Amino acid sequence: MRIPGLGNAADNPRYVTPSDDPEHHPRARDGRAPNVMRIGEWVPMRQHRDEEEVDFAIVGTGAGGGTLACRLAEGGLSVVAFDAGPYFRPLEDFASDESHQSKLYWTDERIVDGENPLQMGSNNSGKAVGGSTVHYAMVALRFRPEWFKARTLMGYGADWPIDWREMWRYYDQVEDDLKISGPVNYPWGPHRRRYHRRAHEINAAAKVLARGAEAMGVSWTPTPLATVSAPHGDAPPCVYRGFCTLGCSTNAKQSVLVSYLPRALKAGAEIRDLAMVGRIETRNGRATGVHYFREGRWRFQRAKNVVVAGYAIETPRLLLNSANQEFPDGLANSTGLVGKNLMVQGNQAVWGVFDEEIRSYKGPPSLAISEHWNYDDKGYGPFAKDFFGGYSYMSQGPLPQLWANTQASAHGLWGEALMSEMQRYNHVAGLKVVSEYMPQERNRVTLSDVKDQYGLPVARVTYSWCDNDRALNRHALRFMREALSAAGGREVWDQADDTCHLNGTARMGADPRTSVVDADCRSWDIPNLYVCDGSVFPTVGGVNPSLTIQAVALRTADRVLAERRRPSA
Amino acid sequence: MPMPSDHGARPPERHHAPGIKRRVAPVRAEATVHPVVVLVAAAAGAGLLTWFAAGRSKRLGSATAGRRFSPRGRAVTASAAQRLNHASTMLAASVLFDSGLEHYRGQFFNRAMYTPIIVSSVTLAASLHGAGDTDPGSSRVRHGVQALAGLTGLIGFGFHAYNVGKREGGYSFQNLFYSAPIGAPMALTLAGILGVVAERVRDADPGEPRLAGLPAGRALAVATAGMLAGTTLEAGLLHFRGAFQNPAMFVPVTLPPLAAALLVRAAAKPEGASQVGAKWGMWAVSAMGIGGVAFHAYGVARMMGGWDNWRQNLIDGPPLPAPPSFSGVALGGLAALELIERDRFRF
Repeated sequence: MRIPGLGNAADNPRYVTPSDDPEHHPRARDGRAPNVMRIGEWVPMRQHRDEEEVDFAIVGTGAGGGTLACRLAEGGLSVVAFDAGPYFRPLEDFASDESHQSKLYWTDERIVDGENPLQMGSNNSGKAVGGSTVHYAMVALRFRPEWFKARTLMGYGADWPIDWREMWRYYDQVEDDLKISGPVNYPWGPHRRRYHRRAHEINAAAKVLARGAEAMGVSWTPTPLATVSAPHGDAPPCVYRGFCTLGCSTNAKQSVLVSYLPRALKAGAEIRDLAMVGRIETRNGRATGVHYFREGRWRFQRAKNVVVAGYAIETPRLLLNSANQEFPDGLANSTGLVGKNLMVQGNQAVWGVFDEEIRSYKGPPSLAISEHWNYDDKGYGPFAKDFFGGYSYMSQGPLPQLWANTQASAHGLWGEALMSEMQRYNHVAGLKVVSEYMPQERNRVTLSDVKDQYGLPVARVTYSWCDNDRALNRHALRFMREALSAAGGREVWDQADDTCHLNGTARMGADPRTSVVDADCRSWDIPNLYVCDGSVFPTVGGVNPSLTIQAVALRTADRVLAERRRPSA
Repeated sequence: MPMPSDHGARPPERHHAPGIKRRVAPVRAEATVHPVVVLVAAAAGAGLLTWFAAGRSKRLGSATAGRRFSPRGRAVTASAAQRLNHASTMLAASVLFDSGLEHYRGQFFNRAMYTPIIVSSVTLAASLHGAGDTDPGSSRVRHGVQALAGLTGLIGFGFHAYNVGKREGGYSFQNLFYSAPIGAPMALTLAGILGVVAERVRDADPGEPRLAGLPAGRALAVATAGMLAGTTLEAGLLHFRGAFQNPAMFVPVTLPPLAAALLVRAAAKPEGASQVGAKWGMWAVSAMGIGGVAFHAYGVARMMGGWDNWRQNLIDGPPLPAPPSFSGVALGGLAALELIERDRFRF
C-alpha cells in the first residue's frame, strides 16, 4: 500500500530501475525536473532561453549555490542554477555499493602538489546536483562566535566581516529548514534555539567516544546531524543504513538535493544538470553571463548577475579561467587573492580494536562529538595548547571498502596481514578530528597547462602545513589516542595524514585590499559577480563547514533581496 | 578474541579407506516452530488457565457470601467493578501487545523480557473474566492475578530504570529516549491496581463503598487522575523524542491533564452534584486512546517504505498498541465517577 503524500520505499519491487542515464543525458529539461522525493515522478520546471537575461545565473547547486538559488527564487527573482553533475534520484539511483556510489565524487583530473599534497576527489568534493551535500556526513555545527573575529579576539587568521549574532539568526533558519536532529541541550557555545528534531540513537562507536570523553573529563554529546529522526514532509526518519557518505537512498538525509532544490523548483528556479560552466563573460566591468557546456555544445546564458558557487577549487578555477582583456588576472582578482589561502581541515584519526563488537558502520558515521578543544583555549598538563585554532572530534563508521583502503594505505597492511586485519572490522572503533588549519597564501589554486575533457585548464592545488597546523595535529592525535585507550581500545594506531573540506580561495572581508568579496559575498571588483560557497571563508574553524556555508548563503540571499527592495537612488 | 585466519590450525585431513562410506552428520530433528509462536502459545495457555481458575474461585467465593444488600447499591458497585475490569482489560491488552512488540524488537535480550508478556496475558484473562461478571463478590484468583500484575509492573520499572542509568550519559534525555522506556512497565501496574480495585469494589458495602478506609469513588477518582498524569508524562517524553513533528502529537499531552483536573474537581464536589464535565473528559480521553492508534498507523505509513515495509515499521515506528492505555485509565475514571454519583450510568 502506498498512500499518496506519504513516504515511499526505496526498494519497492513494483518500480524498475529507471532506463534513463542521468550521467550522460540531462534530466532537468522539457519543462520538468525529477521529483527526488517520489519514484518516477516529475515536477514542473520553469525554463529560460539562453538569450533571455535572467536575474541570476548560479554556478553550482551545492550548499552555497543550491541554498542561494532557493531563496532568490522564493524572493521572486528569475534564477538559473548550473551543475556539472547529474540530477540523481536518490530513491532509484543510489545503490548500497561503495564502488558504484563513487559516481557522486568530483573525480575530474586535478594536479596536486606542495609539501602535503591533498587527496582530492572523494570526501572533499561532489559532482551532482546538490553538490557534495549529497555525500556529506551531515554534521551540522555552528562556528564558535569568537571565530568570526579570529584576528581581533584570538590573534590569528583574519576577521569575518559578519557579526556572529547575525550569523546566529541564519544558523537558526538553516537548522529549521533542514530539521537538524540534535541534542536537547548543546554543551558548548552561547544559547541557541532547540534543534527541530531530537538527536539520533547513538551506536557503539559513538559510545566509545562517550566513554573516552568521560574518562578524559571532557564533555561529549550526540552530534547534530542533517538527517531527520522524525518525519519531515516526504522525508521518512533515518533507518540507520549507514551509507550516508555515499548517498542516502531513503531521503532522510537533508541534502540540498532534497531540501532546498525542490523548494527552488517550486518557486520557479531552473536547474540545468550536466552543465559545466567554463567561463564568465564580462563587459564594461560587469558580468554579462556564463558560457556553459551542455548536451554536446557550448552555449551562453545571459544574466544580470552571476554567482560562483563551485567550492574552493572550482570557484577560483572558473574566476581565473575567465580572465579577459578587461580583467587579465582573472575576475575579482585585482588583489591577486583569488585562489590563495586555500584551507582544508585536519581529518586525522586514531583507531583501535575492542573486545566487544562495535559494528561502527551502523547508522550515520559521526553520531557523537566532542567540541571541547574548540572552546578550551588553554588546555592543561600534557594537553596545554601551544597553537592557534581548535578542533572537534567525532566517532567514525567506515564502510568495508573504505576501511580496507585505509588499512592498505594509511596502515600499510597488505596480503595476509590485511586479510587478517579485516576479520576484526566489526571490533574496530576510531575517533576522527575536524581541525582548524591556518590560512596561508602559499596554499593556493592555480591553473595548469593540462586541459580536461571540456578543454578547460585543470586546477593545480598546492598545499603545505605550517608549524601551527602540525602542532595542532600532534595535540589532537595525542588526545584522541588517550581517549580511545581510556575507552578500552587496544592496538591503537594513528592515521596521521588525512584532510577534509575545502575553504578559502576567495575570502570575504571588510577591506577591498585584503579580500575578494564583501560581507554580502559580492566581488569588490565586479558589482554583479558573487561568490557563495566555502571559498569565502577567511578562517575555517574546527567544525564541518556546511552549516556555515548555508547560513552565509541565506544571508546573501536576504541582502540581495533587501537591496532590490530598496528604492534605487 | 579469537582471530579466524587462514594461518591458523586446520582440521586434520581425513583419509578414508576405499569402500568405506563417508560419514555424514546425523539428521537432527529441530523444532520448526518459531520461538515467538511458542511464546504466544504459552501466553495464551496461561491466559486460558487463569480464565477457568477465576471462574472456579468465583463460584467458591460467592457461596460463602451470605450478605444481602439493596439491589440499587449492588447494581452500582457491580457496574463500577465491571467498568474497572474494562479498564484493566484495556491496559493489560495494551501492555501485552506493546511489550510483545518492543521486547521482540529488543530480541528478548534478557530472559526477564518474557515476563510482561505472560503476566499481561494472565491479567488480560482475569480482567476479561471480571468484565463479564455481573455478580457481586470477588474472585480470589482474579484478585491475586491483578496484585501480581501490579507487582510485575513495579519490578519492570526497576529493570527499565536500571537500563537507562547504566548507559553512557546516565539519566540523560538521550537515554530516556532510546533505552528501555522508563514509564512503560507502569502501565501493567496500573492494570493491576484497577483490577485489584475492581475486586475490592465487588466486596465493598454497596451502601457506602470504601477503599482503604476512604470513600471509594473519590479515592479512585484522585488515583485515576494521578495515573492519567503519569501516562501523560510517558507519552510526553516519547512525543518529545518525535519532536512533536505532527501537531496531533500535542493532544495526548494536553487533553489527559485537563481531564485529570476535571476528575479531581469531581472528587471534591458535594454528593449529588452533576459530573457531566468529568464524564465527558473521560470519554474524550478514551476516544483519544483509540484514535491514537489511527494516528500511529499514519505514523507507520510515514516511515521509510510505509506499510509495504510493515515488518520493520511496526517495530520501529510509533507503537500501535500504546495509545489505548490512555483509554484504559479513562475507563477507570468513569468507574470512579459512577461510584461518586452512586448511580449506574449507561455511558
